[in-house]
Amino acid sequence: MDRPRRRRKRARGPCQDGRGRGIVAAMLRLDAILGLATDDAMRERLHALGHRGAVETVRLERSDMRRRRLRATTDRGTDCAIALPRDARLEDGAVLSIGEDRAIVVRAAGERWLPLRPRDAAAALELGYHAGNLHWRVRFRDGLLEVALEGPERAYLDRLAAFLDDGRARRVE
Amino acid sequence: MNAAENGTTHPGAARVGIGGPVGSGKTALVEQLIPRFARRGTGLAVITNDLVTEEDAERLRRGGLIDPDRVVAVEAGACPHTVIREDPTLNLDAADMLDMRFGPLDLILLESGGDNLASTFSLELVDYWMFVIDVAGGGDIPRKRGPGVLLSDLLVVNKADLAPHVGVDLERMVAEAREVRGGKPVVVTNCRTGEAVGTVVEHIVHGVLFDG
Repeated sequence: MDRPRRRRKRARGPCQDGRGRGIVAAMLRLDAILGLATDDAMRERLHALGHRGAVETVRLERSDMRRRRLRATTDRGTDCAIALPRDARLEDGAVLSIGEDRAIVVRAAGERWLPLRPRDAAAALELGYHAGNLHWRVRFRDGLLEVALEGPERAYLDRLAAFLDDGRARRVE
Repeated sequence: MNAAENGTTHPGAARVGIGGPVGSGKTALVEQLIPRFARRGTGLAVITNDLVTEEDAERLRRGGLIDPDRVVAVEAGACPHTVIREDPTLNLDAADMLDMRFGPLDLILLESGGDNLASTFSLELVDYWMFVIDVAGGGDIPRKRGPGVLLSDLLVVNKADLAPHVGVDLERMVAEAREVRGGKPVVVTNCRTGEAVGTVVEHIVHGVLFDG
């Protein structure tokens, strides 16, 4: 079921400057979602494999869950080349491989949110406009505007500097 | 278990987006990539996006580097980012058509229309995307932390040869790009000569083709 491809030749893989090259380790090609970890049949098999420490996890950022093809490494260091059909959709608990000796399950990292409290209605209007103008994904909760972080928080705070500096909005914990 | 054994459809070609500001060298990069992928036997097609013309598609079709039928133009008719991010239906349809007509393809390159530093690709449309900026556009571009610079899988800093002529400290520009990207890769190219384009190919092969 797993199809490891072992290579010992000099890597042609990417490097930041095109100079440093290394040896490519085994790459496991995964091309289907076989089920969910919560499916009855899967749960039983995963439970048995788990007792033997044979369940590996691929942890992905929420934003990466929309990809059909990606390179990822499991918590045990297995290099995975994931190439799914275009109509497939990764979700938390997706089982990409399961056999006698090993299973590989996708886990979505928890989404990070930046909670902002506008000072008043006028500030809320401006803040909402600003977030929309930057195409940020947001949600609203208890008078807060929360921005989904898809990169370093610092990059978002930089874009909010004018609001944070003059008190039109403040970051809350 | 492969797709056929599992009863699923062929996964189709890997889809790679190429975005960036007007004149940064996106089409020149595509022109450099085509023969490199052809040499390694990668089945390739290209989608170009322009505002209201097929300028970039025509340039590629006339260039003789690729079967002209494998180049499809999408006319955005509005801000180019709308058809690669907000509603990529036109590009999805074009990619599906190419996959069906010429499949099995290995790779479809989707070149965005020239846009600003805020343009990004929907991951519903592409599996991997790169953002092309150029030295002549200003050494301060990375410091401006546009989403294209921050979020792309690969940042390409093109026209490296122009740095001394436009007063840009290339070393500093690249260092700042690496810093704001938090370790994600940066490649410095000259797409007129093809310098370092091979490294771009390596990134695509490693990231989504998996056959290197």
